[in-house]
Amino acid sequence: MSADEPVKTAKTDGPDWIAKIWDFLTSLKLVVILLLILSALSIVGTIIEQNKPLQEYYRFYQPGTVALFSKLGLFDMYHSWWFVACLSLLALNITACTMDRYRGIMAGMRKRNLILDEKLSKSLQNLTTIRYALPLDTVAKKVVELAGKGFSGKHVVTTAEDGGSHYFFEKGKYSRLAFFMTHLSILIIFLGAMIGSFFGYKAYVNIFEGETVSQVETRAGKIQNLNFQVKCNTFHAEFYSSGAPMDYRSDLSILQNGKEVIRKTIRVNDPLTFEGVTFYQSSYGGQPDQVAIEVVNRDGSVKGSVTAPFGRTVEIPGVADKVEAADYQEHFHLPDGSEGGRAIGVNVYPAKGGQPAGLWLLVNDPEYDKQRGGDTYFRVKDLKLKKYTGLQVNRDPGEILVWLGSILLIAGIMIAFFMSHKKLWISLRTDNKGRSELTIGGTANKNRDAFAREMEQMIQSLKEVS
Amino acid sequence: MTNSLLFGIATFVYFFAMVLYVSYLAFRSEMLGKVASLSMLGGVVVETAAIGMRWYESYQMGIGRAPLTNLYESLAFFAWTFAVIYLVLERKFKIRTVGAFVAPFPFLIMAYAALNPNDIQPLVPALKSNWLISHVVTCFVGYAAFAVSFGVSFLYLFKAGSEKRSPKSAGSFWDFLPSSAALDEIGYKTIAIGFPLLTIGIVTGAFWANVAWGTYWSWDPKETWSLIVWLIYAAYLHARITRGWRGKRAAILSIVGFAATIFCYLGVNLILSGLHSYGGAS
Repeated sequence: MSADEPVKTAKTDGPDWIAKIWDFLTSLKLVVILLLILSALSIVGTIIEQNKPLQEYYRFYQPGTVALFSKLGLFDMYHSWWFVACLSLLALNITACTMDRYRGIMAGMRKRNLILDEKLSKSLQNLTTIRYALPLDTVAKKVVELAGKGFSGKHVVTTAEDGGSHYFFEKGKYSRLAFFMTHLSILIIFLGAMIGSFFGYKAYVNIFEGETVSQVETRAGKIQNLNFQVKCNTFHAEFYSSGAPMDYRSDLSILQNGKEVIRKTIRVNDPLTFEGVTFYQSSYGGQPDQVAIEVVNRDGSVKGSVTAPFGRTVEIPGVADKVEAADYQEHFHLPDGSEGGRAIGVNVYPAKGGQPAGLWLLVNDPEYDKQRGGDTYFRVKDLKLKKYTGLQVNRDPGEILVWLGSILLIAGIMIAFFMSHKKLWISLRTDNKGRSELTIGGTANKNRDAFAREMEQMIQSLKEVS
Repeated sequence: MTNSLLFGIATFVYFFAMVLYVSYLAFRSEMLGKVASLSMLGGVVVETAAIGMRWYESYQMGIGRAPLTNLYESLAFFAWTFAVIYLVLERKFKIRTVGAFVAPFPFLIMAYAALNPNDIQPLVPALKSNWLISHVVTCFVGYAAFAVSFGVSFLYLFKAGSEKRSPKSAGSFWDFLPSSAALDEIGYKTIAIGFPLLTIGIVTGAFWANVAWGTYWSWDPKETWSLIVWLIYAAYLHARITRGWRGKRAAILSIVGFAATIFCYLGVNLILSGLHSYGGAS
């Protein structure tokens, strides 16, 4: 990640066109243009709402435009062939760049010029020479102690031809690997996403309280069998006094061979995972279980009553007609357009035969049916709702790779920005006047300003050695 | 409520700080500069108290939650992060002259926040999560670093232009500003601070989304825009690190990146629809 690393290292043998393709795949232009194209395309995807039912688009666009956009895949563009192609090209580009940089980075890590020779000295900007009146080995001891503070690793000492010695210190060598961490992490995340979409599924299931399911329906509309059963023991929805939702929770049990293996109450931010399948609290609802219906005379006396299981036609003791609670609405629309609350759709089968009569009974307004006229009317005395919990069900074997890639990405970025490979050379010899002569210089592959300050401090403290 | 009063005072102090930073640039008096920084710090102190008070008051109301969950709280916290990060970077990089370009943000954000309803509402189930704080804080600190980079890059464009016109103009207004090379370097370093934080913000957001909704990435507008911002800064970093893109081109990319950041934070909520419902018409 810096200028002193060779950007291109891999030599491509073979025909010219291979070299050209390789150059294209590893070019900076391709990376930057791809990143900007992906951003531009993504912007389009946020302006045109994605994955809506087709009818909704007709409300915003001309029919011709809808047909065109639909054909171009603009309504599900993140899964369109051209968007996936861009992502694939990015993956190819990352792979090629990683291969291209491999040798250079490994060489940068291994390259250890142990001796501060003339050629190296010329390349160092901070080369400083200090002379001491102290004996050479006293200086050497101090030097190792001082330099060792910043460079904690083991240093290498080489004896020079003229009797002096060279000290080589280095630190943060492995920070050069950050390049691989950041770039391979993206590939790992892509791989995880692909595994998830090929080998996983997202499904949905409603489970009534007290009921058990062993299969779920995927978003693609397929039935997915589970290796176990899920039972919803209870569901609760709580609300604040303002009406805003406070808590949704389902008490779930996982059953295997009829025996309960796990029991857990799941909430919106607290799902349940079993054998790689995760259950998320997603929605809820209700359906009538039993409806107690009364037949009332005009004078208000009850002629007969029955508790009808939902969807079954039953006789009413004392009344000749039969009745069936056949339909249910949570928010019933009254003929005048206002909201009538919960309502039961009832079919009444006359005793003398003939067409059944359909009528709506309001739970909150028992006398509603009175307006129909006639000798008797119907009213709901009691309604027992069966609640169900709506669960999103996921299996995603690639998820772990996505998180692994994410952690690697963050760690890699941190290392790339905040750590560097630093090298320090010190050579010690006796000069022609018999003094101890110390020459010091260093380099870092990144954050050179910070390293220069570090070096300044070290040189200052070396000068103070006495 | 006490928190509203404190937020009001903080807004006023930020306004004062903004005026001082601009006058510092205009009159070039070191004393003014110090007072400007101090009043910005004063704004931060008052707003810290305001946020703490709001948090405390939410407990008194029996709701008890971090004040980070509606547009008002989000904006107030954004202004706070902005001021804190700016002060830290001002100290680190010695860029008080940039203040005139960055200091208006906390005031403007607070003024905008004041237009929104500020009652403390209880949390809906999806927001009841320990991920809330880490997700919001990392994103906002990242945004704030990008904002400082934006201010510095903006200043760079002026300064580089003036250096070109008159290379040696000791004592002039332009001479008062950091050198264009220094501005260029700081513009990069602030992005180098913001980028890892944005990355952590996106990852914590994805992780949270997976726990709450069962999908770590659903191409919702907020997610997509955060990715766009990430891609723009990634392009900036690649161009700069491997090809040495500096100066004008880098500065423009940094400005574009911040424009996308602002859209990601506010535009998405106000214009587009999606899962982050702390703003918008609904």
